[in-house]
Amino acid sequence: MFSFDPYSPAVDADPFPYYKRLRDEFPCFWSRESEMWVLSRYGDIVAALNDWQTYSSAKGNLMTELPNRAGATLGTTDPPRHDRLRGLIQHAFMKRNLESLADPIRDIAKASVAEIAGEKTFDFIEDFSAKFTVRVLFAALGLPMGDETTVREKAVLMVQSDPHTRAKGPEHIAAYNWMQDYAAKVIAERRKNPLNDLISHFSMAEIDGDRLDEREVLLTTTTLIMAGVESLGGFMAMFALNLADHHDVRRAVVADPALLPDAVEESLRFNTSAQRFRRCLTRDVEMHGERMREGDFVCLAYGSANRDERQFADPDVYDLKRKPRGHLGFGGSVHACLGTAVARMSVKIAMEEFHKVVPDYTRVQEQLPWMPSSTFRSPLKLDLAVA
Amino acid sequence: MVKVVFIEPTGGEVELDATEGWSLMQVATSQGVDGIDAECGGSCACATCHCYVEGEAADQVPAPSEAELAMLEHVVAERRSNSRLCCQIKATPMIEGLILRVAETQS
Repeated sequence: MFSFDPYSPAVDADPFPYYKRLRDEFPCFWSRESEMWVLSRYGDIVAALNDWQTYSSAKGNLMTELPNRAGATLGTTDPPRHDRLRGLIQHAFMKRNLESLADPIRDIAKASVAEIAGEKTFDFIEDFSAKFTVRVLFAALGLPMGDETTVREKAVLMVQSDPHTRAKGPEHIAAYNWMQDYAAKVIAERRKNPLNDLISHFSMAEIDGDRLDEREVLLTTTTLIMAGVESLGGFMAMFALNLADHHDVRRAVVADPALLPDAVEESLRFNTSAQRFRRCLTRDVEMHGERMREGDFVCLAYGSANRDERQFADPDVYDLKRKPRGHLGFGGSVHACLGTAVARMSVKIAMEEFHKVVPDYTRVQEQLPWMPSSTFRSPLKLDLAVA
Repeated sequence: MVKVVFIEPTGGEVELDATEGWSLMQVATSQGVDGIDAECGGSCACATCHCYVEGEAADQVPAPSEAELAMLEHVVAERRSNSRLCCQIKATPMIEGLILRVAETQS
């Protein structure tokens, strides 16, 4: 009998054969292991994203939600509260307001890649992208340097889940608690000595004359740090993996860096790092002959939608010329990723600088160690050999 | 299904069947309409799905929210009285026949 277990290491490593069967044979599937429905077709997922009244985020959006987080972050609230919270933050993430970060990001990229210059083999993640992403986040949020290695370690741990218990393990919860304490210290410092920056504004913001709930300030800041480090890092690792595996695309973008944005968009589609998020139904829904009940959780498998042959021709091909409009690599609709502009800009600059030093490389490991996570997909280590 | 027409910046007219409930941005990008960047993915945060709504159905489109009005201040092409961000318009029977002229530049 077919089963789909988003906690399984086999799904971490290669979810795509499972997704294909889900889309073709079980487009509305009850996953016993994760106790939720799984939607896998592009059209069904876009419809669910548009219908936030039915597919609510207020009970959490991570497949394995962190304790006490639902209802206190952008991703775990519904409009209108969500829209007001987002309104306080999003101007800082708009493309035009990020231009001042381009030069600092390029300096960080140059400094990070200088550390691997001359190496024959290196781990793209530990030796380059981890350093780059955490330094970018610290620059963007104005965080004091010194804790960056620990911040990254904890961010990567807190998004993971235990494949045996199908829940967060004690080490994941401990990392989450550590990150909350860290965020609390930053918030307290900004309230004492406010700067003209995102956390200062947000930690003292009001909605309709009311101060934000303390839990909202704390957990939204915690989530921003987590996403800034882990999500950006995962996205970058998947992009590097695609370029290492697809020599023709890599040669094309090295020869003409103006093609990098197209390669990035296709990477978001082809190897989506945010594979799956979840929603909770506010009413019964019938779909593909199944009846989903009010209160049931529903997994929206973005990684499957992005490989749906009903939407993308030859979906399993990484095609530089595709220009995959409408892909769900950043989710979509009201809850689409807040950091799309900063993520695209950072990865583009990082790879431009990386390719100046390391223009030709191949993957060393045949089997990659995949992160155990029901939500995100990226390798923990990506060894590259300089060709 | 709701019929809508997009006019691409190059002049091409594309008539589409829109699934009810989808945003018109998603209808357009999922069916390959040219000229819509939609960088933010439909969260009303980037002003790169700018269109001018035309035809009789234009009067039937619900008025823009405050968030959309604020974001419309950031459009790159000329802002007109019929400027809209198409990620904020849902396909409903009310807007059958709506014409959306895609702005000539988005960013």
